[in-house]
Amino acid sequence: MVKEKEGIIHRKKTLNQVLFILGALIGWELLAWTGWFPPLLFPKMSQVFIHLWTELSGGELLQRVVFSLYIIGWGLGLAVVTAALVTTGAMLSPLFSDWVQALMAVLHPLPGIAVLPIIILWLGTGSRSIVAVIWFSSIWPLIANLHTGLRSVPTTQIEVGRNLGLKGIALVRSILLPGAFPYILTGLRVGWARAWQASVAAEMVFGASGGEGGLGWFIYKKRFFMEIPSVFGGMIIIILIGLLVERLCFEAVEVRTVRRWGMTSE
Amino acid sequence: MRNAVLVLLCLWLVTGGAFIPQVQGARAEELKIAGQFGLVYAPLMVAKARGIFERYGLKPVWKEYGSGGAVREALISGEVDVGFMGIPPFLIGWDKGCDWKIACGFVIVPIGLVTNDPNIKSLKDFKPEDKIAVPSPGSIQHILLAMAAEKELGSPTALDNNIVAMAHPDGAAALISKKGIKAHFTTPPYLFEELSQPGFHLIIDEVTIFGHPFNFNVGVASQRFYDRRPAVYSSFVNAIGEAMAWINNNKEAAAKLLAPEFGLTPAKTLEYLNWEGMNYTTAPYGLMGFGEFMAQAGYIKRAPASLEEIAFDNVLAIVGSRAGGPSEIEQIQY
Repeated sequence: MVKEKEGIIHRKKTLNQVLFILGALIGWELLAWTGWFPPLLFPKMSQVFIHLWTELSGGELLQRVVFSLYIIGWGLGLAVVTAALVTTGAMLSPLFSDWVQALMAVLHPLPGIAVLPIIILWLGTGSRSIVAVIWFSSIWPLIANLHTGLRSVPTTQIEVGRNLGLKGIALVRSILLPGAFPYILTGLRVGWARAWQASVAAEMVFGASGGEGGLGWFIYKKRFFMEIPSVFGGMIIIILIGLLVERLCFEAVEVRTVRRWGMTSE
Repeated sequence: MRNAVLVLLCLWLVTGGAFIPQVQGARAEELKIAGQFGLVYAPLMVAKARGIFERYGLKPVWKEYGSGGAVREALISGEVDVGFMGIPPFLIGWDKGCDWKIACGFVIVPIGLVTNDPNIKSLKDFKPEDKIAVPSPGSIQHILLAMAAEKELGSPTALDNNIVAMAHPDGAAALISKKGIKAHFTTPPYLFEELSQPGFHLIIDEVTIFGHPFNFNVGVASQRFYDRRPAVYSSFVNAIGEAMAWINNNKEAAAKLLAPEFGLTPAKTLEYLNWEGMNYTTAPYGLMGFGEFMAQAGYIKRAPASLEEIAFDNVLAIVGSRAGGPSEIEQIQY
């Protein structure tokens, strides 16, 4: 019963949101039709979608999307592994934990793109540098959330686990990880968003070599050839990928874990 | 009290110091001018230092951008009134419907593709992983590279997958430290600095590619600006001319004045100003030459059919229109 009602509310919410976005797009189109703004600065939405279609069928855009996802996968993957290692270290040694916290306090506020000039000097231009910027941008929110999450698991729960005879890996798997899971999920969400920002920003600062550029390079190039509808097209693709990953990955995982365990209300 | 001060300080930091009262002169003849970095823009620096625009009753506001594309955006958004950019970025804007024209030629300088790899002798020697820095896609350097690629490799896009976009100073730093890039398509003083590095050499230069010298930049103004503020427009053209002539007639004084801007010694600056091929001029050179190539290679939809489409009357008057076949000045526009 409750589940069904929840489903209806959920669907209604989605419908509302879709209607709102459609309305905004139509509003945009109408505003562009009035001709108050030069079409060069404010292209028609229909034009944007036509360009998007041509770019997609031309194949270049898809290649860029694949490259962006590939490079974000690398950067974010490395960041997750590093964050897991660092947090494990921090859980084992209070001294290391202090160091990590100090490092986090210093480096977390630093936007990944700000370290780009140094990374270019150390690693040169190209995909390695972009991976490094993505890694740097996403690792701090990951560590912060993992660390807080693991430490927020109540001692009583851990004690209960111990009383049930859990030890080592089993304790971590059955008590610590599920307990920290809401935080881990948040960390991954923030890390994913930061990784996108970093990859697009990095490619816009020095581009990448044309053959191996992602969506940032696509937008950057279109900007210089003044193909403004395609610039919007690139942005729409980024939004769509963001929505898809949120819906298909994060929400699906959330429903199956955190919400099923009753750790969060919505 | 202390808390209040702290809160205010935070607010001020967050808003980027916007509470500082801004001093704004509300003079009618304000002229906002967009330039870029490098020796090419020396006339603007001279005009600024010597108050040349002020002499014509203008109040110049100077803005610097990292690429012709950025200057173009500043012009389109109305952030500046006039700007300087290479002919290709100008043509891309023209092609997309920007209602603007060329107000004057602006300087001829040597442009070249420099490499730090002794094994790269010609364009054919670039491997797919060898990167070539240009200021931006669609910049004059990118288009020159495409022209050279068409001549030597058979396709204008043959090297498009090799390019990285870097502002001149960053490109020069990367080339000299041999980090990431193999070659840099650049202009003075970066060109001269790179060529004086041991082992660095020029692969190809602009005259080999284009056939003859051309304006590295052109002064660009919108038709609207030209129609509505003709007096300001002509003062602008004359002030730029005066700054050019002053450099040509006072190279030593100019070197002294410009040296701190580039972080060079006056002697080095003078050497650069006198480098073969440098020509501080407002005369139009090669205005039409890029259009045809860019249209053929697909960078723009169509090439301008005549100079009238892309240049204002003062430029047309210099070029003229000789009865019975083109004059020498007309010929060098192609």
